[in-house]
Amino acid sequence: MSSAITMLVALVIFAVTYVLIITEWINKMLASLIGGFLLVMTGILTQGEAFLAVDWNVIFFLLGMMLVISVLKKTGVFMYVAIKTAKLVRGHPLAIMMLLFCITAFFSAFLDSVTAVMIWVPVAMLICHELNISPVPFIITMAVASNMGGAATMVGDPPNVILGSAIDKHFMDFMINLTPASLLSVLASLGLIILLFRKKLYVSQVNRAKLMSYKEERLITDKRMLVISLTVLGAMLLALAFDGVLKLGTASISMSAALILMVISNRKNMELVLAKDIDWITLLFFMGLFILVEGLVKTGFINILANRVIHVTQGKPRLTSMAILWISGIFSAVVDNVPFVATMIPVLKQIAQVIQDPKLMDPIWWSLSLGTCLGGNGTLIGASANIVSVGIAKQNGFHISFKEFTKISVIFTFVSLLTSTAYILLRYY
Amino acid sequence: MLLADFLDPKTIAFEQRELEREQVYLEIIQRICSHRHPGVNHCDQELLDAILAREKEAPMAYAGSIAIPHVRLDGLDDILIGMTFLEKPLDYDGIKVDWIILILTDKSSSKIYLNIVAALLRMSKDPQIMENLRGLKDGHEVIHFLKQQQIEVGSELTIADIMVKNPVCVSPQDKLSKVDSLLNKHSIAMLPVVDDDHNYLGEINILDVLKVGVPDYLMRISDLAFLSSFEPLENLFEKEEELSAEDVMRTDTIYLNPTDSVVEAVFHMLRENRRYFCVLENGKIVGVITAMDVFKKVIKA
Repeated sequence: MSSAITMLVALVIFAVTYVLIITEWINKMLASLIGGFLLVMTGILTQGEAFLAVDWNVIFFLLGMMLVISVLKKTGVFMYVAIKTAKLVRGHPLAIMMLLFCITAFFSAFLDSVTAVMIWVPVAMLICHELNISPVPFIITMAVASNMGGAATMVGDPPNVILGSAIDKHFMDFMINLTPASLLSVLASLGLIILLFRKKLYVSQVNRAKLMSYKEERLITDKRMLVISLTVLGAMLLALAFDGVLKLGTASISMSAALILMVISNRKNMELVLAKDIDWITLLFFMGLFILVEGLVKTGFINILANRVIHVTQGKPRLTSMAILWISGIFSAVVDNVPFVATMIPVLKQIAQVIQDPKLMDPIWWSLSLGTCLGGNGTLIGASANIVSVGIAKQNGFHISFKEFTKISVIFTFVSLLTSTAYILLRYY
Repeated sequence: MLLADFLDPKTIAFEQRELEREQVYLEIIQRICSHRHPGVNHCDQELLDAILAREKEAPMAYAGSIAIPHVRLDGLDDILIGMTFLEKPLDYDGIKVDWIILILTDKSSSKIYLNIVAALLRMSKDPQIMENLRGLKDGHEVIHFLKQQQIEVGSELTIADIMVKNPVCVSPQDKLSKVDSLLNKHSIAMLPVVDDDHNYLGEINILDVLKVGVPDYLMRISDLAFLSSFEPLENLFEKEEELSAEDVMRTDTIYLNPTDSVVEAVFHMLRENRRYFCVLENGKIVGVITAMDVFKKVIKA
């Protein structure tokens, strides 16, 4: 096959797979794996090239995190925190909403946004039921918070994990460059919550008393395991923070923490953990995706795309950065942000060949991260955490329509993207 | 299992003489005992008396001109069968009997014994088989013939044998209050939901009823230890008149057939971790089988 035809075939496979992922006409993992192996079967990639394209640092990092979270979940600490905070503010709904926003964001920054909403949305619904208020604003703002928090660190959101692994940036680089932007967005969002919901929430004394009767201390049944888990988690985050010096690799750090916790808590019975706590669909989906994008890289399509971008932005860092921030923000609002980032990384790598000064190039990478993570809030379908949250609500008879969700979430997205724009322009250019 | 495999040619005889009933029995006993089965201690008058006493309690002759005298012995742990074909029939209170089958069985083993009796009775109703049997010469021929005829001892207990027939049912429009009071009144944990023609639509178990008071979000919380009371559960009765059986019933459950074996029922109970199954025939409810039925009627029978 001539190179133009192979590129075309790779592009068609990529595009069809992409459409299947977006429309969810078939399971996204199936779509990405079919696309990936089709590239091998058509001879565009060899099997060896396909397997080399998979970023095992990302896969094992995520696997490790899933295992760590599965142990942490069992200690009851997450539930404890949620109920403790609700009681601390004496059942004041607006304060609960803001605190849940912060907890969700914080948790998502260090663990995982989908897990965060899966743990706390049901608790929020219980609290809302007891307080006799609608859980819908809570659910939407928590989904928003999970995506915003995810943007803060290298481990918070899959796009950041992939990005950090691909461009050899460390945990601390993300902390220094992205956490401030994310914090600003969270602050702006808290203001927005006060503005939007302050007048809508009223709670009677009787219902408040019900909430205050919760005995959250009964959730912590195994103090020893709690202490061990938190110690291991702390050590893991510390090791991640200093990985620039340690050079162990993020996957090895998270896997070590996971394996230590597994041996201590679950030495014999791994079947249940593997079946229930590991999101194999996501892991395999990512593998397929890496292979798929490699097809575009090898056939030279990414090259062409990068050249177009450079042509349009004339290689000006500031303009490129803004374009990337807003385009990826808008794009991530309507499609899954992981495939988007996976595709954009090789494009930006090409651009980095032109803009060689890291001082000018780095902000472009950060723009990609902020755009994709924060953009996920743009619409209901922008991020998995949104879909999961609304799914839980629906199971409980609260139908949050695309319009209803987006009406609120788009305000938050717009405010956070504006905040990020200001942040990038003021800090870097 | 084949009937022929329970028989021993040495315990089968064809008798031309005209004998008393007791004499026939005694000779069969002696033939069986010549094997010196360790479980049969008294191969004499004592055993004969036991059989005759048993015979007095319940007649053992059947219309197909056969008689099946039997006795249960402690610790026999086997089923021993002897038989005699009589050229000169005996009179059992007006029934002419020319085939006597004597069975010694253990006190506890009832199922196989009953199945053997059932197989013999089935056979005795078939004139062609009976005609052929009478024309044979010795035990070997009898066993050979029975083997050829593939006379089976039905060993498989089916669900139909132990299920609760005509179970209490509700219709989809019945209110939850009726469901609750039926569960309560009959002390049962599951009710089939059927239409007017007894077509199976679904079922409601007691957990489905409790679930009405426990919303989905509560189920997603990993630990509820902090919650000491929950109003919707405690005030479940408030919803009794609002909800109907069709709102609560589950339709995705598997059901069993009356001809399925008991093993299969137990298999499904263990695999699905459920203690109740509806039994359907052509889509209509014919019974309910519970783990307790299996336990009481099979294990502890």
